[in-house]
This record gives sequence, C-alpha cells and structure tokens, in this order.
Amino acid sequence: MTRQAFMARLREGLRGLPPAAQADIVADYENHFNEGAAAGRSEADVASGLGDPGRLARELRAEIGLKRWEEERSPAAGASAIFAVLGLGAIDILVLLPILMGVGSAIFGLAIADVAIFFAGGVVFAAGPFSGLPGGAGAAVLAGIGLMAGAASMGAVLAIITVGLVNALVWYGRLHYRLLKPALEPHVSGGLQ
Amino acid sequence: MPEAIEIQLKKGALELCVLALLSKHDSYAYEIASQLSDSIGMGEGTIYPLMRRLQADRLVETYLVESPAGPSRKYYRLTDAGKASFTSQKSAWSSFSGAVESILGGAK
Repeated sequence: MTRQAFMARLREGLRGLPPAAQADIVADYENHFNEGAAAGRSEADVASGLGDPGRLARELRAEIGLKRWEEERSPAAGASAIFAVLGLGAIDILVLLPILMGVGSAIFGLAIADVAIFFAGGVVFAAGPFSGLPGGAGAAVLAGIGLMAGAASMGAVLAIITVGLVNALVWYGRLHYRLLKPALEPHVSGGLQ
Repeated sequence: MPEAIEIQLKKGALELCVLALLSKHDSYAYEIASQLSDSIGMGEGTIYPLMRRLQADRLVETYLVESPAGPSRKYYRLTDAGKASFTSQKSAWSSFSGAVESILGGAK
C-alpha cells in the first residue's frame, strides 16, 4: 500500500471525530511516514509495518468515544461510546448484542410508559376536580400530583440504571481494548514462528 | 493455537513495555514503535492508539523538540502518575511471571 492510500483509508475511518483529534492523529501517522523515509524505508514497508488503517481508525475512535463518555455523561456521548465499543467488533460483544438490544428496548419501553403516566397524572390533576369523581376535587388533585411524582421518581431510577449499564459496557469495552483487541497484526506474529 | 496465545501475551505486555522504555529515557513514537517492533514483534501502527490512551489517562505527557532534519518531534515522558503506574505494574508482572515460571520449570 502506498502512503497516500494508507492515509486516505485512515482519514476515511476517522470521519466524524472532532476535527482537532483527526488532525492530531493524521499528523502522527504522517510523521511516522516521514521518519520512516528518513530512515531509508520504502512507503510500502512503512505502511505494512503500521498495519490495517481501517482497524487502527476503529481503535482510535473507540478510545476517543470511551474517553468522552467518562468526561461528559450526555446521551450523545453514551451513544457514541456504545457504537465505538460495537465498532471494535469483538466476537463476544456481538454475542452480547441481542441481550443488549433486549435490555435497551425494555428500558425504552419503560421510559415511554413513564412519560405516559406523568401526562395521565397531569390530566387527572387538571380535569379531575371538574369530573365529579367520588372523593371530591381534593382527592383528584392529590391523586394527580401523586401520579406525576411517582412518574418523576421512576424516571430518575431509569436514568440511573441507564448510566450504570452504559458504564458497564464501557468498562467491558476498555477491557477488550486493553487486553484483547489492540496490539498485533497476526501476520507479524506469524512471521516470528 | 500457540499463535493466538503468543499474541494475547504480547498484547497484555505492550503497555508495560512502553512505560518501561519511557522510564529509561523520553522518546518519540517512531522510536518506541521501532524498538518494540524489533524486539517483541508488534504492529508499529498500534503504538499510536496506545500513546493516545496513556496521554488521556495522564500517564504520559508530550513536548516538542526541534529535529535536525525536518519538522519538530513530539516526545513523550512519564508523569508522576505514569511512574507510579509503571512501578505497580512491574511488580505485578514480576510476581505473576515468577509464579508461571516456577510452575513451568516443574513440568516436563
């Protein structure tokens, strides 16, 4: 592979990351080619020594996604961390995927139900006093407030559970990143036998 | 699958090796990559994700040095946290490899 082809595939794989991080990474690998050339190595030799640019980009992307989640607990950061971990493509993460989808959709369903209960509480609160329910206006107002408060606390619990789940996944992803996925190109090791 | 085992072992040791190299003297990524590539046979490209992670974890920090030929080089040095991490990982590695060694030594 030529230097140009390597850098093009790396850039392709980094697309969507923060521009500063992309520029930084690209500069690192450009430097590597410069150093290699200064040491008298051919472009093809340096490129094959570096390994598959697509996989390098996935690893860099995962590292940046996980770091971002650790720093800001936002839904967007959580989503990018999850996709980064999945992007590593470790087989047992793929095995985990159906479970993850099940748990994810259960949480999503509960969240929808939670919102519905909250609005139902609002309706009881607002309309109850005028509908002549048994117990009178006061009971309807209290019941409405109770439903809304219950929905709000359930929402808080759901949020805590979701953050915990994403944390667990990120921990799992980092474990992979550190121990299993990163370092070696198989052909390099094969050549050592 | 001896190859798979060999790869896993090296992957686990990679971070420790980088910290060890930097504990001797500050270095830049190309030098680290070529040293590790020569001695333990790892893909040179993977040094960069690792260096980014070490930097994000504040185990290493960078500074620029003018190079005689071409643009300036980004040097890495261990932070205090990096030195502490190296010391604890090194002793963990020594006791682990010592235990494995003593079991291997007893087997035919």
